[in-house]
Amino acid sequence: MKKIIAISIKDTLVRFTSPVEWLFFLILPIIFTLVIGSGSGPSSDNRVKMLVVDQAKNSLSETLITSLQASSSVKIELETLEEATSRLDQKKVAAVLIIPDNFNQESLQKQTAELELRQLPNNTDAMIAHQAIQAVLSRVSSVVDIANSSVARAESLPGIKFESESARQAFFDASLQEAQTLMAKSPNRIIEVQGNTKDSIEFDPRSNASAGQLITWVFIPLIGLSGSFAYERQKGTLRRLLTTPTSKGLFLSGTIIGQVLTAIVQMILLVLFGIFVMKLNWAHAPLALAVMLISSALAAAALGTMLGTFVKTEGQASGLSIMFGMVMALMGGCWYPLELFPQTVQQIVKIFPTTWAMQGLLDVVLRGQGIMAVLPEAGVLIGFAVVFFIIGIMRFKYE
Amino acid sequence: MPAILEVNHLVKNYGSFNAVKGISFEIQSCEIFSLLGPNGAGKTTTISMLSTLYTPTSGDAIVCGYSVTKEPMAVKKCIGVVPQDLALYEDLSARENLNFWGQMYGLYGKTLKIRVDEVLEQIGLLDKAKLKVKTYSGGMKRRVNIGVGLLHKPQLLFMDEPTVGIDPQSRRAILDSVKELNKNGMTVLYTTHYMEEAEELSNRVGIIDHGELIAIGTQDELTKSVGETDTLILHIGEEAVPEILAEEVRKIKGVLKAEVTDHEVSIITPSAEELLALVVSHANHLSIKIRSIEIREPNLEAVFLNLTGRALRD
Repeated sequence: MKKIIAISIKDTLVRFTSPVEWLFFLILPIIFTLVIGSGSGPSSDNRVKMLVVDQAKNSLSETLITSLQASSSVKIELETLEEATSRLDQKKVAAVLIIPDNFNQESLQKQTAELELRQLPNNTDAMIAHQAIQAVLSRVSSVVDIANSSVARAESLPGIKFESESARQAFFDASLQEAQTLMAKSPNRIIEVQGNTKDSIEFDPRSNASAGQLITWVFIPLIGLSGSFAYERQKGTLRRLLTTPTSKGLFLSGTIIGQVLTAIVQMILLVLFGIFVMKLNWAHAPLALAVMLISSALAAAALGTMLGTFVKTEGQASGLSIMFGMVMALMGGCWYPLELFPQTVQQIVKIFPTTWAMQGLLDVVLRGQGIMAVLPEAGVLIGFAVVFFIIGIMRFKYE
Repeated sequence: MPAILEVNHLVKNYGSFNAVKGISFEIQSCEIFSLLGPNGAGKTTTISMLSTLYTPTSGDAIVCGYSVTKEPMAVKKCIGVVPQDLALYEDLSARENLNFWGQMYGLYGKTLKIRVDEVLEQIGLLDKAKLKVKTYSGGMKRRVNIGVGLLHKPQLLFMDEPTVGIDPQSRRAILDSVKELNKNGMTVLYTTHYMEEAEELSNRVGIIDHGELIAIGTQDELTKSVGETDTLILHIGEEAVPEILAEEVRKIKGVLKAEVTDHEVSIITPSAEELLALVVSHANHLSIKIRSIEIREPNLEAVFLNLTGRALRD
């Protein structure tokens, strides 16, 4: 046991001699977790920000602004022309809507009303703002159209004749008011998009990012365990070690256990970051979490051991571990929810341990489940570990 | 004195290639025994089998009373190995390296600390023990490489060409340290292709070539085995073809052998001084410029040349 500990400590010392290792061990995982986790969630407002300059300041412009405020696509802020222009020039917003002072019911009735939309070229947010304004304008125009139709219909009825233009305008205003009231009460048209998922729990980008980045940044160095073996072979230290009273089994155990323990420390630090900084629900089922962390680390370390039988140099191992780690993380749902993938792909990616690790960790952090729920995932991961370890140890090259 | 190492018909084959062809020899306690031979002769393969790294194809060796094939773990406890290439963690310090390797030899706690300090003192790196090995000179790295093999005070130390590729000063230090270790009772099996090292260090020498042990004995015994001959070495200009001169020299009466190595012609003769004038005359006749002449009394180089027809550096 003392030799296993000595080998593990030596590997840790060798690994962390370069300060760059801390970048991959903790700094990048945290940065990526924060960046990816800051995406839209169930409670976040992801509407496009748009500035509105109200030069008309009349009831119609207020109607327009109120309708825009109710929009699910844009989030508006009222600004002066100078400030709005300045922020657009600095590309802080994608679109500015200017309501000119001649925008009123008269101009609307005469169809001479014009709005000015300034937007950033080739910008998706600006396009969304444009569409949102068109939708709102259509709604506002409909109200005016309804009022105009009411006046025309009244004038066509026998026995009804407006005595003066002001009386006619009063009828128009009353019709407009009524139309606005009815329109406000009418239900919005809702298009429901059904996600390709059976999951009843709502997607949470922060939980997904925390679990996904944990797996990504722990799997890559563990698969890179193959590099440790190649390093020992290249440096001649493995050959020398085998001339000491240390068995091959002790060497493999020390190297693997050391890397697995380091990975578990890394995972615990990332989980603590999730708990204390991101306020995620990692801590509610410690046993389930521990089972998932250990089984994930073992599966990845076993994959690294198996890969170690194929690689000849440390450089090869480094390249392959990054490639395998990234591809498996991407395909395993660590970067994007698996539910975004077609059903066939969702079935195929079950060949990757990352898929099972991710689902198990989401069971804990997102779905709030306990040990019984994660046992299937943990069982599959242990299965991966057993198969990979058997192949890796049987085929291990000591020369 | 009991034999600390008995090698019995040791064979190592790689497919159809016979790397070691049934060698047998013994090493007595407190002896420095050199295996002398050119590159590729089978020295490292032999040491690898004796240190239990390779399993012999056939044959066996008894180290400290234990069989390398049947009791490898017991053998490993009794031997120290200094490999030909550096086998160190260069990102760690000398002390960290020695600490780690000491633990691999089963040393822990206070014993380990004391031995690490002693070895650092012995290899002259106590004051630089905290520096990373990668910052050391080549000679310093070699010293750490040797120090690792000494940590557990082995009864038998295998040193596989420990002076390859280092500067003369470091080489001198290593040779002195080998003699010092032996003076303190350590038995050393030293492999080299430098005749001078074998001559300086060894109580006995085994000459190995193409996987066969072709001669074994003390230096005196080996040199006497080739008779009272001198070696006359002619260093000739690079523009000349040494084979032409060697061909002519072989025709001279009293020349036992004439072999070519690079731009040297080595001539074995009972009396080099008597032959010298005639050889120079032949060279002049062939318009071959002689840059320098060296006369060597019987040595291991001559033994190797006599036994194999080739120089050690071939």
